[in-house]
This record gives sequence, C-alpha cells and structure tokens, in this order.
Amino acid sequence: MRYDSITEAIGNTPLVRIDQAVHGLRHIDLYAKLEMLNPFGSVKDRAAWNMARPGLAEAAERGATVVELSSGNTAKALALLAGMYGLRFKSVTNRMRVPEIKDLLLLLGAEIEELPGQSECLDPTDTEDPLTRFHQALAEDGNAYLHTNQYFNPRNTEAHAVGTGPEIVKDLGGRAPDWFIACVGTAGSSTGVARALRDQDPGVQVVGLVAHKSDFIPGIRTIDEVHQVGLFDPATYDTMESVTADEAIDGMLTLIRRCGLLAGPTGGAAYHGAVRHLRTVDAELEESGTEPGPANRRTAVFIVCDRAESYLSYVRQRRPELLGRPPQKNSAAALTDAEVQAQAKVVDTDDARRWIMDGQPRPLVIDLRGPQAYAALHIDGSVNIVDELFGELVRGGLPFSKRQPVLLACPVGEKSARYAALLTRMGHPDVRSLSGGIVAWRDAGAPLVRD
Amino acid sequence: MDDVPFLHSLVDALGSPLNVLLPHRIAENADGFHSVYRKHHLTGRVYFAHKANQSSSLVRRLAAAEPSTVGVDVASLGELQHVLGCGVSPDRIMATGPKDPDFLWLAALTGVTMNIDSPGELEQLAMLIREFALPRADVLLRLSGFEAATGPGASGVKMLSRRSRFGTPLQEVGALLDSVERHQDAVRLTGVAYHLDTTGLPEKAAALEQCVAVMDECRARGLDPRVIDIGGGFGVGYLADAGQWQRYTTELANAVLGTRPALTWRGHGYGLRNEGGTLRGNPALYPAHRPTAGPGYLDELLSHPAPSSGRPLATLLLEHLYDLYCEPGRALVDQCGLSLARVLDVRRAGQDSGDLLVRLGMNAGDVSLEEHGVLVDPVLLPRTGTAGTDDVSADGRVGVYLVGNLCLEADLITRRKVFLPRLPHAGDLLGFANTAGYAMDFHAHRAQRQPIARTVAVVRDGDSWRWCPDEEYWPVKRPGGPVS
Repeated sequence: MRYDSITEAIGNTPLVRIDQAVHGLRHIDLYAKLEMLNPFGSVKDRAAWNMARPGLAEAAERGATVVELSSGNTAKALALLAGMYGLRFKSVTNRMRVPEIKDLLLLLGAEIEELPGQSECLDPTDTEDPLTRFHQALAEDGNAYLHTNQYFNPRNTEAHAVGTGPEIVKDLGGRAPDWFIACVGTAGSSTGVARALRDQDPGVQVVGLVAHKSDFIPGIRTIDEVHQVGLFDPATYDTMESVTADEAIDGMLTLIRRCGLLAGPTGGAAYHGAVRHLRTVDAELEESGTEPGPANRRTAVFIVCDRAESYLSYVRQRRPELLGRPPQKNSAAALTDAEVQAQAKVVDTDDARRWIMDGQPRPLVIDLRGPQAYAALHIDGSVNIVDELFGELVRGGLPFSKRQPVLLACPVGEKSARYAALLTRMGHPDVRSLSGGIVAWRDAGAPLVRD
Repeated sequence: MDDVPFLHSLVDALGSPLNVLLPHRIAENADGFHSVYRKHHLTGRVYFAHKANQSSSLVRRLAAAEPSTVGVDVASLGELQHVLGCGVSPDRIMATGPKDPDFLWLAALTGVTMNIDSPGELEQLAMLIREFALPRADVLLRLSGFEAATGPGASGVKMLSRRSRFGTPLQEVGALLDSVERHQDAVRLTGVAYHLDTTGLPEKAAALEQCVAVMDECRARGLDPRVIDIGGGFGVGYLADAGQWQRYTTELANAVLGTRPALTWRGHGYGLRNEGGTLRGNPALYPAHRPTAGPGYLDELLSHPAPSSGRPLATLLLEHLYDLYCEPGRALVDQCGLSLARVLDVRRAGQDSGDLLVRLGMNAGDVSLEEHGVLVDPVLLPRTGTAGTDDVSADGRVGVYLVGNLCLEADLITRRKVFLPRLPHAGDLLGFANTAGYAMDFHAHRAQRQPIARTVAVVRDGDSWRWCPDEEYWPVKRPGGPVS
C-alpha cells in the first residue's frame, strides 16, 4: 500500500465477524464495520473529506478558516485536513464534554469555542438560540469561513452512500445484510448506508439508535436532538431505539475484552443495540423452527464509529471500578477521621511561632497549598509542596530525615493533620500540623509575606 | 396546602389573587447555603437578592438571622430604604445594579458596601464621598467578559458567554485598579464580584478562577481585598421527577413537529419551530427539573476543578484566604410561598372546540409563569361541598386552559394545557406552588383596575396556622399578637 496523501487511506475499512460465542445469536451472523480504522480514527473521516474537498483549494487561496459545529470526530478530521491545506480550523459546540478530545483538538491546532449554557433568568422575548446566532455570524462574514455544515450538508450522507454502503455489500459477496444498525449523530452515515443497501435490496431493516434522553453518549443524539438535524428523516429507520450510557459502556467492554476491537462508547452502543434488537428476531426464527444451517442464515451489520482511547475520562466518571487500581500504601486518604485525631500532633499559631523562632533545631515549614496561593501570601521561610505532590512523595517513604522536625500547614489545618498523622504512623518522631491552618494564622494577626 | 379550609378563609377575607408567604422558610434556605460553606470550610455571607421578592416579612426574617452569615443585596434606592427599615444593619447590605446619585449617596452615607459596575461609577462615588465628607466606602469591583481572558485562569478553550450589560470587562481591570488606587482616600477595595446569567458550571468556574487571579494582582499592588462575590443563579428545581420533564419536552417537540395533538394554546411552541420537518430554535423554558439546584449547585460549583490549575474552586478560595459571598434570589425563596386564585367560571372555548377554559380571579402578570418559562401545575383546592362526580374523564383527569381576568386575548395564566384531577367549579381555588417566592413581583400590575394580589405571611401555630399581612410581620414572639 503506497499513497501520495493520507486522504487516500480514508475508507475501505474492514468488515469483521463477531464470534457467535460472544453475541449468542443462533441464526444471525453479526458483522462490525470498523470505521475506527480510518486514518484520523473515525467514521467522520469520510464525511469530513467529502464535505471539505470541493472547497479546500479555494479556501486556501482566500485564507479562510474551516468552521464546524462539532463535538469531536468531525472536528478532529477537519482539523487535520485543514492543517494539510494550511488553513485554520475552528469548532463551535456545547456538546464537547470529554476532556481528552478537547486537548487532542488543541494539539491538532484547532480553535475551540464553547457555546454558553442556558440562561438562568429567561428572557422570553429572546427567540434566537446560540446556534442561530452562530449561523448569522457565519453569513455576515461570508468570505472568511468555509462552513462544512455537517448536520445539513448532503455531501455528508453521500460519502456513505457511495463509500461505506457499497463496501459492505461488496464484502458480503454482493448481498445487502438483513439488518443494518447504526447510532444516529448527524444521521449522515445511517442515512447514506441505508440508501446504498436498499438500492441493493429494498427489504433491509434499518435500526436507528439514539441516546437515552437523560444520558450522554459521545457522538449520539437523543430522541429530541435528532429532530434538530437537517439530514434526519424518520422514514429512513424501521425502528428507533434508545441506549443508555451504561449499556454503551457494557457493549464497548464486550467489543474490547472479547472481540479484540478497540471500540469507543458509540461502537459499544451500536453493538449493544444490535444484539438487543436481534435477540428478539433470533428467538422468533428459533420458534419458527428455522434450521440454523448455512442456507437459512441471516446477516446484520453495525458500525464501530471510533476508538476507546479518547474516552477514558468518560469511563472513569461513570464506571471508576473499570479503571480501578489496588489501594495505595502510605495514603493519607486511607486514614479514618478517628486515626487522624488520635495520631496527628497539632500546634496552634502562638506555639508554632515560638517553635519556628526558638526550636532546636527549627522546624521545616511545609505549605501544602497551590503554588499561586503560596505565591500570594505565606509564612516566611516556608517551602511550598502542593498537597497532591506531597501525597505522591510520601507514597514512596519519608521525604525528609527523622531528625528534621516538620510543621505542615494547609488552609484550615484539615489536610495537614491528615498528613501529620500519616507521617507519624510512618515513623517520623516530630511532624506537627498547624491547627486552624493559614486562616487561623492570619486571623491571629501573625505575619504573612510575599517574596 | 393540606389545610384547604384555612386557605379558603384567607381568600374569602382578602380576595383573589392572594400570595401566601412562609417567612421561616427563607432562613432555612439561607442555612442550607451555609451548610455548603461549612462543608468547604469557607466563611462569608449569603446575600439575599431582594429584587426576587418585595416582601417585608422575608427581609425581616433574614434580619433576625446570624449577622455574620446573612445579608441583603439591594438594587435600588427603594430597596435600600426598605431593608434599612427592616432592621438589617448597613454592614450587612450590598448595593448592586444600576445606581443613580441618590442611591449612591444614601448607600455611602449609611456605610453600605458598594458593588461597583464601571470606572465611571467609581469616579462618581468618590466625588460624592469627598463632596459630602462621607466615610470611606467599602467597594467590590464587578467584573465581566471572562471569555477572552489570558493569563492564570485561562484555558485553551474559549468559552463564549452571553454578553452582559453589567460589570467591567476583565481586559480593562488594570485601569479600574489604577482608579481604585487613585481614590484610596474615598474607597477601600474589599473584593471583586461577578454575576453570570447561565446555568453552565464551566463558565462560572472560569470566571471564579480568573477573579482569584485579579485578587492576587490586587495584593501585589498592596491592596488587601478579602472577598469574592460569585453572584447568584443557582437555580430552583420546580419538578422532582426528571422523567416527567423529559416526557413533556419530548411531547412538546412532537407537537411542534405535528406528530401529536397540540399541548399548548394555538400550538404555541415555546421557542421551538418546525422548519420543513426539522426542529429549530431553543425551548424558552426554565429547566423545571434540575438534577442539582440551590445549595446543591453551589456545592457542585465549589467542588468543580478550576480550568487552569485543576484545584477545586473551594480549595482555591480557601488557600488564597478569600471569603465567599453569593447572592441567590430565586434559590433563597424556594418554597417560600404559593399563589392562590379563585375559579370564576368554566366553559367550552366554542361549539366546535373541545378546549375547556377555566377563568381565574388572577391574570398572567400576577404569577408571570410565562415570563419566567416556569411550568408548574396548579393544585386544585376544592370548596367543600362542590365536589361532584360529573365532568370526570375516563382517567379522571381533564385538560384545561387557564385564562385570566383581563379583557385581552393574550391573558392566559399559562399557554400550555393544564391537567387537573377533575373539572373545577366556580368557587374552587387553584394553588400555584412555589410561585409567590419568585414569579410574582416582576410583572404584577393594575391593568383594568384589577386588584394586585395581597400578600400574607403565615406561621405554624401548633396544629394550625396563623397569619398576618406581610407588612405586619416581625420575627418576634408576641403573646396574644397575630403572628409570633
């Protein structure tokens, strides 16, 4: 495989059969269309390239910025394409809730603008939503932008009608599958693929999957949100079903741990939705006495939209146990309040001042606050080690000699007491916590400096 | 609302509409906010944004609360006079909003803290103080325009925010601080403030972190500010069940798209519209169900990581030794009162219409549900003896439109169809829960010489309730008096 440009590597993704032992369907062969293996990492590479291609050269001439309302994968693909043409890319969204994706886009050179949240005091005379305003701004400044407009651009759908769909038919030996299951985001891939498959066989059943209304699954819209998509036509789908974030993660785990497919939550949602839908059909086939032999086999295809790596914080937030590690030793968090109270030596502001002045030897004062707070005001001569770093340090053992007395200080003396207890337990003979912390120190009129 | 005869007796005596307030509730709400302060080891006052409600009983109840924890935020000369008259001492009052010279003068004279909106306002205040030889005034600087900020507290992502008329843009803060230093004989900088009109946590988190950076700059200049005032906007949950709200908004969208019968008077879309089968626009509705609101929202904000440093915001405040002020309005009067209206008439909208109209002794201005995008169902409080079995539909519920007492086509109490357990009868009461706290005072008017709602304060008295006119309430135990 030798290419002149990475864009030539878009498309022609593998169709991989899911082992029957995993999905348990007796009469149906289930295939995953691995759109995650596109060069920029997702199904959106096709649409982004197809939408941007006609305008890129001309946009480069006038130095335009590529703009899209995208929360992730389309932005990722467009940012890379824009970069190849020396263009800037800007993404505007209020749906980008996954921090890794934000950082990745910044790395790609994208500019991200987040739309404001809903107003707390409603202005009922305000009929314009932020998106409408955004479109107005694009229209006003017509020359400066190349807006790919993925929710309304027919070239989004077309990319799949001429690419993804025919590829599936070709890989199934010239036949369309009996079922096609897809998550609905821009509706581009589901609509385009459905069109190509039905051209081949009008009997294809299309299942559209949306996110449960109260849930958030990256890349999928909820049943209300799909109505706002220009490419969405309810007639495309034989049925619409919803998937919860939990189910999406379950599906993703199955694909990763049992199928060797490094899918993200959207692919997981598609898998979960597919198996849930097909299980009923499979049971009906079973009851009708259909032999599970090769002659009577049915096929179904779902799309694995992108990869897992970008969604680790999404998983951590919802299923921390999946990323769980064994408890750390020497952890301040592991101490109970009673243990802290019993083992932490504390000292109030007056005694601490005397100790700092006259101690033999004098204590090392460690300020556990953030560096900016420390820079603004601190106890003269103290050392700043922010609590998170300090926690890492002590995990490996005592970070100072047992002969060195230590005074720990934090805002109100709570965290410092915890660490004083921990260090005492680790065998240090003289670690004390500043009682009431820097706040009490200040309130007692003791000096604080900035240097 | 369990004591239906009591509520009927109130409306019989005082007329419809009627607002019923529970002053003790506002003190409980303030304490709810303080428990969040305590959890995060933060000190500072909770200021009641007085504009939320004109009532005297609520302010007087707060005046009786612990002075170091509760204050009142006033936005006009009239509110300042009222609050002073209710016994709130000037050191617990903060003047915000647009200020004319009279307001500035009385505030400076009495020693109220001033939340300064612009360099011009600071100049004006300093001149007044010198001219009338007034005491040095404590000022907070209200900042805005956090989206384009650079430096500590800014992140790689630009957060757009709704443009505000208030506050000094962050980029101009240098000049404002120069001005503070120039006028040090007249004003003392005690902190900075912001108020963002949004339900979005990330926007507020960015603003708060950037305020900390400004405070640090003040310290570097030798000023000694102590307070960051994060404004209000903590919200109220009007509906406990998330599913109900989700089902309603989905069905509203379907109604706008034409796939189900209308849910609103003449198919009103509440900001949604149907453009060729695609849904456009934003629902102009208050999010009736909010997973966290009021103190819960404050807790979430304070636990939220600062976008730049990643430290939780409460930790940031605490480490920098800054006090926290906040100014909830709506959230402090949550569940503080209900509005009552008498049913005057029930009829069909017309021969060919299935719509039922219920006319109330109240108009849209008296509760202004539409103005605030609040969709609360009223509770039917039957007049004893009128309950009949007629007019009950199969599921027992009946959908009606509530129309007001003005001779205007537009005067609907709410434009959505309201479902009641049975068709009401003339003489029944409808009780709108949780509207007399916030939704009543902004738009009430005397159009067509219809009466404005009277307001009464009620307090628990053993198993029963006692009441007095709002203006007669004082939070003092009086043997034999009307309210204790």
